Amino acid sequence: MSLHDFRYQHWEGRHCGIWRRRWVIALNGLKACLDNRWTRNLVLTAWTVAMAAVGILFLIGQLLVPDSIAYDMMKPLGGQTRGLLEGLKMWLTERPEISVRVAYNMLFYFFAFTLYWLSMILTALAIPHLISRDLSSRAIIIYSSKAVSRFDYFLGKFGTIFGLLSLVWLGPVLAAWLAGNLLAQDWSFFWHSRGALFNALLYVTVSMLAISVLSLGISALSSKPRMAMSYWIAFWLVGDAIGGAASITRFLSVSHNLKQISLRIFNLGGEVQLAQEAIPVLKGIMRSPLGWWLEAPEIGGALAALAVMLALAVIIMAQRVKPE
Amino acid sequence: MSEAVIETKDFSKTFGFQKALDRVSVMVPAGAVGLLGPNGAGKSTFMKCLLQLIPYTGGSARLLGGEVGREGREIRRRVGYNPEQDCHIPGMVGCEYVTYCAQLCGIPFQSARQRAHEMLDFVGMGQERYRKIDTYSTGMKQRLKLAQAIVHDPEIVFLDEPTNGLDPKGQSQILDLVQSLWTVHGISVILSSHLLHDVDRICEQIIIIARGRVLVHDSLARLKSRRKGAAEVEVASRADDLRQAFQRQGWPAEVLLNGRVKVEHGSQDLNPLMELMTKIGICPLEVVPSPNALEEMFVQALETAQ
Repeated sequence: MSLHDFRYQHWEGRHCGIWRRRWVIALNGLKACLDNRWTRNLVLTAWTVAMAAVGILFLIGQLLVPDSIAYDMMKPLGGQTRGLLEGLKMWLTERPEISVRVAYNMLFYFFAFTLYWLSMILTALAIPHLISRDLSSRAIIIYSSKAVSRFDYFLGKFGTIFGLLSLVWLGPVLAAWLAGNLLAQDWSFFWHSRGALFNALLYVTVSMLAISVLSLGISALSSKPRMAMSYWIAFWLVGDAIGGAASITRFLSVSHNLKQISLRIFNLGGEVQLAQEAIPVLKGIMRSPLGWWLEAPEIGGALAALAVMLALAVIIMAQRVKPE
Repeated sequence: MSEAVIETKDFSKTFGFQKALDRVSVMVPAGAVGLLGPNGAGKSTFMKCLLQLIPYTGGSARLLGGEVGREGREIRRRVGYNPEQDCHIPGMVGCEYVTYCAQLCGIPFQSARQRAHEMLDFVGMGQERYRKIDTYSTGMKQRLKLAQAIVHDPEIVFLDEPTNGLDPKGQSQILDLVQSLWTVHGISVILSSHLLHDVDRICEQIIIIARGRVLVHDSLARLKSRRKGAAEVEVASRADDLRQAFQRQGWPAEVLLNGRVKVEHGSQDLNPLMELMTKIGICPLEVVPSPNALEEMFVQALETAQ
């Protein structure tokens, strides 16, 4: 008998449930992703952008305070910009329920879309840690021999990428809304900006769900982590390159499709019209080439294209992720 | 005989037109079981189908009482698997990896970490457990695979060629550990190997598979008893005298290159042999009954199958 035998003891504890095991897979993947310095830097950048958004929201709030720092900052400004801020101030004072909603909606639209680019870069960095490395090291066999099913494995990996995207997208959006309102002059900002928060959360959640599933599919495409990363970058950039075309190929771009969804959710055209009616100087600023704000989003085509992409991603995962 | 841990009926698996498992029906009681067969015989396929790593195509199977194909997660929580291939989760250090494997079987983190260290001690891994797995030698990886297979305290463990790539000392240590799993700790062992010596050393039951069919399934002792009595005797000196004594008795005998005397005494037990040696005043250092019985049976089974 081996000298080591005496150390073996049977375990008589209570087993955790299946959700705990899925959580363990997600957390382990998240740790592996955050081991990368570039990933951590991107997360930091996202939160810096969030702080900038908080700063803008703070300044909007300060417009309601007669002797605030915002007025000192406005003094050196001339012409159109000063006119815009004066108009915004008047609007905020007279119709806060509409002005706060519109201002927050527009800000959160741009804020959320800025973070979209960061999320796409972050996903490129995370792709190797999702499924690709498990394929290359045959870790799938290990997962499959434990008390988790293939579905649990996918759910865990989905949790990894969704959690990571939350760190650079959902988290900053929520934090910016909360901090911006806490720093606002009037507590009613919380109530008036609820629509903007809902829109932002809906758009970000839908986008994160789509990007998470797509990234899992692309990660499963290759057992070479670098190759999988290249596939993601190609999918994103080539898609965007053809996304500007007028033909139906524009729906091959995930950026184009998500933009259509965001335009529909934020209803930017309607918000811009409201703002233009209240602040005449905006009419001059928001003319062409920014006219696309007022165009009706191609929501049907975008949703259909995304659905096809997601279905393909799921099929790839199901076909590629097998122990043998 | 205790309750069956594996029970299959017409269990089949086909890859295209090729039958990897051909209506396998066995009832395996708890214990140390050797799964023997030439390369491509269907040993690994049998284990993988039972573990539901690959889907089976016909028949039915029960593992630890649970129906294979329906109770996958619950069955695998009670089963350990040491795969033949080199597979791990890259970027992790050894103890993290084993902890993670325990957590995947539902053991809470604190207990999982403690169990991981206990199992790494058990398989004889020292400070190297704090190194990244990617830097491990083949021997270390084999030990790690065994640790992850038993970290969740399974009731049965499937070992697919667990001594591959190990030096003789490492092989011996791993076999000792595997043997103790059943004899000391009561964990059933299914050992798949084409190394007959490994199986002979630790298994009580043998299943010989070839071309996807079970050729032999019985206890090793019973199988050996069916063979014509033979033994190898190791003596300190007078090997030639012993050979002559055996031959005078009418038993074919020869002195082997390693100095041992091989004799075919034809009896079910060693008593006549021992009596003769006592009579002529030769004290043996070691008597190995039926040294090549398993090998002979294995070859015979394959020939019969062909």
